[in-house]
Parts: sequence; structure tokens; C-alpha cells
Amino acid sequence: MPTIDIKKRDLDSLIGKKLSVEELEKKLMLAKAELKEYVAATDDLKVELSDSNRPDLWSAEGVARQIRISLTGKSEVYPFFKPGRKATRIIRVAKEMQKVRPYIAACTCQSLRMNDDVLAQMIQSQDKLAEIFGRKRSTVSIGIYELDKIAFPVDYRLAGSDEVSFTPLGMTEKLTLGQILERHPKGIQYGGIVKTFAKYPVLLDSLGHVLSFPPVINSTEIGEVKPSTRNVLVEVTGTDQRMVSLTLNILASDLYDRGAEVDPVLVVYPYATDMGKNVTFPVDGSSSVSLSLDQFSHALGEGIALPDLKKRLTAYGHQVTAGAKGRIKITPPPYRDDIMHPMDVIEDYAVSRGYDDFAPVMPSQSTVGGLSSIEMLSDTVRMHMVGAGFQEFVSNILCSREELADALLPAEQLVEVANVMSLAYSVLRNRVLPSLLNVESASSKAFYPHRTFEVGEVAAVDRTTNMGTRTDLNLAALISHPSANFSEMHSTLDVLLYYLGIEYKLEPAEHPLFMTGRSGRIMAGSVLLGFIGELRPEVLERRQIAMPAAAFEINLNAIQSFFK
Amino acid sequence: MASSDLNTLFESLHPLENKFLLAFKAADVLAGSDILAATGLDESRFDMATGWLTAKGLIEITGETVTSFVSLTETGADYLRQGTPETRIIAALREGKQFTVKDVLQSWGMDPSEVSSATGALKASGAIRIVAGGVLELNPSADTASYDFLLSVIKNAGERSSADLASFSREQQELIQANFHKRGKGKGIFRITEKRNRTFHLTEPGAGLVKLLAERGAVTEEASALTPEMLKAGTWKNVRFRAYNIALNPPRTSIGRKHPYREFLDYVKYQFVSMGFEEMRGPLVENEFWDMDALFMPQFHPARNIHDVYFVEEPSHAKEIEAPFGKQVAAAHKDGGKTGSAGWRYAFDFERTRRLILRSQGTAVSARTLASGPKVPGKFFSIARCFRYDAVDATHAPDFNQVEGIVLGQDINFKTLLGLLTLFGKEIAGAEEFQFRPAYFPFTEPSVELHVKHPVLGWMELGGAGIFRPEVTLPLGVDVPVIAWGLGLDRMAMIALGISDIRDLFSRDLDFIRTKKIRLGK
Repeated sequence: MPTIDIKKRDLDSLIGKKLSVEELEKKLMLAKAELKEYVAATDDLKVELSDSNRPDLWSAEGVARQIRISLTGKSEVYPFFKPGRKATRIIRVAKEMQKVRPYIAACTCQSLRMNDDVLAQMIQSQDKLAEIFGRKRSTVSIGIYELDKIAFPVDYRLAGSDEVSFTPLGMTEKLTLGQILERHPKGIQYGGIVKTFAKYPVLLDSLGHVLSFPPVINSTEIGEVKPSTRNVLVEVTGTDQRMVSLTLNILASDLYDRGAEVDPVLVVYPYATDMGKNVTFPVDGSSSVSLSLDQFSHALGEGIALPDLKKRLTAYGHQVTAGAKGRIKITPPPYRDDIMHPMDVIEDYAVSRGYDDFAPVMPSQSTVGGLSSIEMLSDTVRMHMVGAGFQEFVSNILCSREELADALLPAEQLVEVANVMSLAYSVLRNRVLPSLLNVESASSKAFYPHRTFEVGEVAAVDRTTNMGTRTDLNLAALISHPSANFSEMHSTLDVLLYYLGIEYKLEPAEHPLFMTGRSGRIMAGSVLLGFIGELRPEVLERRQIAMPAAAFEINLNAIQSFFK
Repeated sequence: MASSDLNTLFESLHPLENKFLLAFKAADVLAGSDILAATGLDESRFDMATGWLTAKGLIEITGETVTSFVSLTETGADYLRQGTPETRIIAALREGKQFTVKDVLQSWGMDPSEVSSATGALKASGAIRIVAGGVLELNPSADTASYDFLLSVIKNAGERSSADLASFSREQQELIQANFHKRGKGKGIFRITEKRNRTFHLTEPGAGLVKLLAERGAVTEEASALTPEMLKAGTWKNVRFRAYNIALNPPRTSIGRKHPYREFLDYVKYQFVSMGFEEMRGPLVENEFWDMDALFMPQFHPARNIHDVYFVEEPSHAKEIEAPFGKQVAAAHKDGGKTGSAGWRYAFDFERTRRLILRSQGTAVSARTLASGPKVPGKFFSIARCFRYDAVDATHAPDFNQVEGIVLGQDINFKTLLGLLTLFGKEIAGAEEFQFRPAYFPFTEPSVELHVKHPVLGWMELGGAGIFRPEVTLPLGVDVPVIAWGLGLDRMAMIALGISDIRDLFSRDLDFIRTKKIRLGK
């Protein structure tokens, strides 16, 4: 989740009060934010936001707003959301946009009191919103332009690869759209979003000047915001209209908090959208929820009084009014679109009041604890193995194919990772014994005898199951010393299975890990429990183990089937 | 010396020491060679007894003579049998044989360096010369006495094995010194070994002990261990057992032992059982449905992409999602279904729900438990191995354990959630101070982070929890409030084990694991 940089003086000025760092840390809980770092010398704060559903908090303005309203106790009104406002500026959407990047929203912000802090925050919120909320610009991307350089109406349409050219930000020469995709760093980074289309999105003003090539890059002439900029056009394009509209609302609210005058822009679609064909942005899309006081009391575990409820929710930005049938109607602010369920509002109340204000109560209903039967078997087996003088191990389950390759039986298939990051961690082990052999490879200096075991999970492909795979719990044990042999290992297996009450016999069988004539299947009736044998010298040599070893591995799920 | 001290010493004597001391019955001063002869000890046991007795101050070494003994090296023994190369060449020439140096090299079985040094020496002394065709020719008037003399000394030394160097004449000794084998130098003929013969003097306490030994009778045979035979025959009654030096370090051994990390996890496991939690388990390979969809994580959630989760290559999909959960969960995502929620409002992808992945969070086990018709009221926990798409380093293991669980009941609400977390903080982390911070998880509302003041670590995040959203519980058939919680215990495990690299929890080093101590408890 995003971490943002803020100058403390900027945050204090937006909050309207100079907070100590300790006070700030406490107040940041209102925004589910954590202060990661404060460098007094440079006045730099690093704040981590944890709520991926509250992109309105990913800026200095957003964090400050949440704290400010809790201090004043008043929810703030953003007048530009008032319905019925007339827009004097128009963006015309071309029909062909529907299949490429169908939605756009925009507004103008004028009389900005621009300074370095404001510009830094403007760039940062654009980046966080487009990268994280907008999924690397694929669903949402943002453009901010010098309003005074634009001749309205603006057209949002497609253009061929060579049809238009402009000087993109960060370059000094004019490039066509095709050239931008090939040569400009942003073209290379984000080109994939539009490359599959025959033509690409552009914003052009009525004089034919290019504003930008969304979602890739702005033009230098119109789309560069400088410290001297006072009036801007803010535009958001994307593939999800709700997210596009919400992003615009957040940006507009942030700039309004900075003292800008926000005015609407009319977007004219030739096709139907969920918001209509002619939409005057920004649009307050928030929908209210209604719930009873009882719902609050029940969920929070104590009686909640209406005046307190009103106070807390108002101080968190909501509007609280009386709803039908004695219910309470809560309307979230327009920069939020995360209220899906009444529970979301109930949490807002608790956050606004402060979690520490609630006295913990122990759940009173009595329950009986217990372990699963396989875990109990595992505990018994581990106790016996420890009693037999074996050192327990715990190993990683994700490993390399190489570690398991020479232990595979014919027709066995490993669970393999498709998106491999490192070959060292690309398959799940299907046996525990290779993990114990890893221990031997790493432990030649540990004094002998070595007696090791592990009870651990393994996974394998099993097409008879719904999941196509199976997780088992296996026991592997290994002995290693100058005279380690089959008979010694067999004694341990024998006494273990005796105590478990499993009658078994060994059947001679070939196994890739074990020496021919010195290995066998461990059978309980017709059920295969596992294998036992002396390790093949080539298996040891491959792992640079210079000591004889014998081992067995049994499947505890198979053992457990005898207890049912 | 007090008699009690003498008695203690007497009790401590080893049979070898007794034997050694008894030799002094005859005289207070003895040469080592005499003691060896009198006791019949071999040299190593003699040396052991000498060491012990001098350490106890019972004998003193007052003098030492060194004797050099001469014996033949392998080469010397060879010359004894066949003659030296020089005498062999002279003898053959005297017999009238005709040969070249090459003949000698090829058929006399001598080392080339021996041949060249012998012919060289003979030529230099004028005893032979080499004529046409490389044939050797003896100078009839040559003086070959020195070669014969060497051979005679070899014979002399060979006949008397380990003869005293001093018993040889001065001339012979010089010759021996000139031809003796030194390590790292060419072949020698003679070997000179030095033997020390020390003079031992009985000290006053030593003399007291010799007297005691004579009076009481000494155990001069090895009787350090009680044997079954002694017990059967009753001979133990006449045997005195040597006192051990119990201050010595014991031999190293290893015992069967739980893995220290597993011991920590066992402790946690039994803590949960004692708090009334039932264990739940789930598969390592999950599908996206149980790992994420059922937990109301939208399919576009950032944590769901290819850089956070390991996908399974083949088979890539589960066969089906258990009815009716698939449809109910899909409805919750799309428009809330019957959960009272507006939902995430996007096109839910059914194909994706079956996609197989490596379990990325222990909450998947909780989701499966919710769908299995769990007991109400009920408490459940699991210690689940999870996999995340992270580069492995000191803080990221390839797979790791998550301790997770749920609590279901009519009395579950925000305050009982805080109560439960307080209990965890006290019982699991041994903390007395707590802080609850608002948090965000896609599947809980309200959500909380538990921070505790750990006795060793100070303030730390112990875990995250919340009340499952109705969008999670209702589609899985549960209509009571459910607490979901997860604890991060690896840092506590690392402290309990005294390690700073998380990978050491899964160490392959037997020595490391054998010697790791662990401290459990509050």
C-alpha cells in the first residue's frame, strides 16, 4: 500500500494546527496511517497508508482533511458537487472510444496558490492514484494541463499512429504517437495498455493542439504544470467509470482544500453510460446507507446514543440525517466510494471515536479446544522418534526440482510453480526425505552418529481429487554414521509401528534412492505406507555426503486410515 | 604429610601406578630401564604411570642418559644381503665379467641414482675406468679397502640389531654418521635412534605409599570396572575400584530432541488448545476461490496479481467450486447478493476462481472451515504454511507459518474482538500493555491491528484481526458474527531461538539445531 512523502509544515498548514509528532502519530490512526519516518532537519514525513479502498487518503490533503474534520467536528461541504451547475467547457467523446478507453471526467481548478509543496503533492497524488488505484494506469490515468492554453471544446478521440505529433513531456522534439510508443520512456512503460488497438486515444483542442496521449504522456506545451501555473484543467480517463469519476472527485477536493475555485466540465458521450450521455463533472456518486441504532449497538457491543453517533460520524466526514422508519441515514463524502455495507459505517464510527475508547470484553461463550486427529498422530509419532534418539528438523516445502529429481518414482508428478521467481524455489516437495538429505549435505562436520527426522507436509499432483493435487503429512527418518545400515533403520521403523499398533511387512522393491537388494516397500495389508532402504552411493555422492546412510519415509495419512 | 592425605592418595592410585611404585621396594633410586624390567610394563603404560606419579609428587626425575642405537635402513638391509653397489661392481669385474654402465642399469636391479653415484665414486677414486664401448675396466692396483670397510660395518650393524653406537670404533662411528638416514635426505644406510633412560627418585610421600602398598597389598591389575563375572563369583569383594576424576569433561553425545522452532510452535499450539480453540487444516495448494474470492478480495485487488502469488503450472485449475458457495460468493462480489452490501460491482470471473495457487494466506483455511458448517459458538486456529512471491532474504523465507483463526458466536462484537486480542497478547506474548489501531483488511470490518509491549522486544505488532464482513460469512452459510485473527509469531520465535535471520528457522545445519536452546513461557 502507498507510502507518501509530506512536508510537515504543509500538513500542519492544511490541518490548520501545528501538531507535535506524537500528536500526529495518534491522529494518523484516523486515516489508518502510520508515521514511518520524520526527519526534523528537512521537515520530511513518510506516511504509510494501509487502506487500499480509501485512495482519498493517499495525499497530504486527504490525510490532513481526515485529521482536520476530527479536530473541528464539522464535516466540510464541497460546493462544486452541487447538482445543476452549468458547465461552460465541453469535452466531446468520439464514438470509437467506447471500445478503447471509454470514460473521461474533467473539471477546472483556478486561482491555485501554487508553491513547491503544492506542486510536489499534485505530482505525488497523480502518481499514487494512477499507479495503485488505477492499476498502473490501465483502469485510471490522469492529466493536468494549463487551462489558459486550451481552446474548448476538447475532443477525446482516436488517432492513427502517424496522424498527430506533439512534443511529449521530457523531450524536446515532436514525436508521432507511434514514435512515442517506441522511444519515450513512458511510451515503453505504459504503451502496452493501448498497443493492441489500431488507433490510440488523444485529447485535442479545437485548434487541433494535442493535450495528451492518454494514458501515456502529456504534451509539453499544454500539459506541463509549473510553479507559475494558476489555472488548470484536470482530466481523468479510464475503463471503469466509477473509478474515473471518484479519482476526479479526489483531485478536485484536494485542490479545493488548497483554495482553488473548482468549476465543472461537461462531457458529451455519443454512447450510453451508467451516468448518462451528457455528464457534468464532478459528480457526487456517493450513495447513502440506512441503518438502525441497534445495528451499531449490536456490532460494537455497547449501547450507542444517537447524539454521540452523529457527532462521531460527522467528525469523520459523513452527513447524518434521520431516515425512514426510525433508521439513520448516513451519506459519505463525495471523495469516498468505499461504503459497501452498513458495517463500513460502523467501523468509521469506531475509528472516529478511537479504538482505545472501547473497553475489551472477553467472549463469554465456552468452547472446547482440541487438535485434529492427524496432528495428534503427528505428535505421537514425533514423541516416539525423539524417544528413539532422533533430532527433529523443520524444512521449507518450496524447493528446487533438482533436490527432488532423483527421488521421483515413475509417474509421479510434482506441483510446479508457473511464475517462477527463482529455480531454487520452484516446486513443492513431494517427500520429506530429500529435506533430510539436504541436512546431511550441510552437516558433515557435526559429530556422528546422525539420527534425524521430520514430520512435515508434502504435496503432489493427484488427478483423482477436485483440486488435482493432494497434501499429505509424511514422516521421514534418516541415520548416518560409519556402520549405518538397513537393519538399524528397520529396528526404528519396527518399534515405531509396534507402538502405533500397525502390523506391517516389508516387500523387496526397487527405489531410486535406495540400493538394489537393500530396499523395500512398507506394506500394511494392501496399503502402501512408504519405503525403507540404504541410500545408494550415487545418491550420497551427488549430494557430497561421505557417510553411509539408511532411511525410511511413511505417509501418516495412510497410517491414520487404520484408526478410523 | 598427614596420614589422611596419604590414604586419599593411596585410594586414588591406579594399578599401573601401584606396579610402578612397587618396583621401589628394592631401592629409592631406579633407572627407567630397571623399572621396565621389574614391572614388565610396555613403554606407553610406563610413560602414563610416570606422568601420573610425577604429577602427584610421588616420584621425581633426577637424571637422564641418552643412548644412540644403530640399525639398518631398508637400503642398508639390501646392501647387507647383496653388497653395496661399489663392492658388487668390483667383485663382478674381479670375476672377469665384461659390462657397461648401461648393462648395470638394465639388469642389476639397481636404482639409476645408485648406479651413477657408485660408478662416479669408483671412477673418481681411480678404481675403475671406462674404455672403448663404455665397458668398465678395473684398475688392478686400486685400493678398494674403503668399500670393503663400509660393507663390514653394515654387516656388523646388521648382525647385532640395535647396537649401541658407542660400541663401534671411532672410524666405524664416523662412517655410520656419514651414511645415516635423515628425514628428507636421500637414501641412508644406517638409522640412529636415541633412547632416553631416566633416573627416578622416590619422594618422601612416595616412600610412604610404597610402605602402605607393601603393608596393605596393592591392586596391581586393572580393576576399574565392575563386571557381571565379579558379581557372579563374588570376587568384587577383593577388588578395589579406582576413584574417577569427575571433574573431566564427559564424552560428547547427542540426544533425540524436538526442533526448537517446532517446540515453539507446539507451545503456541497448546496455548490455543488451552484457550478452547480447535485446530483446523487445509491444503498447501489452494484455488483462488478459497484463498481470495471467498474472502471478498476483489479479483482486481493488488495483492492478487502475478507478483504476489505463486500460480501452479499443471494442473492449473481445480475441477469445480463446491456448490452453492461459488454462486453465492460471486453474487457478493457483483452486487452484494443477499448480504446487504452493494458489492464490488465488477464482472466476476468464474474461470479464475478455480485457478490453482500455493496458499498465500492462512485465512484460506478459515474460509474452508466457515463453509464446512462449523460449531457455533466455536473457536478455531491453524498454523498454516504459506507462500508469497517474495525474494528470499533475512526477513523472507521461501515459505512461512501463519497462525490464524476464527471465533464464531452470538456474543461476537467489536468489544469481544478486543477482549480476545487482549487474551492473545497476555497468553501468547506475555504482554501487559496493549494498543489497538484501526487497520484495513479486505475481509474484515471493523479491522484492528494489535500492538503489544513485549517483555523483550518492546512495542511490536502482534497481529491483525477484525470481524468478517457479512460478504464473507453469509455466502459461506454462516449467519453469526465471526472474528478473524492472525498473529505474526515469527519474530517471537526468532527471539525465543536467539536468531536474527528468518531462514535459520529452517536451518539445515545439524550442529546449529543440536545446540540451539530455546526459552519458552511468559
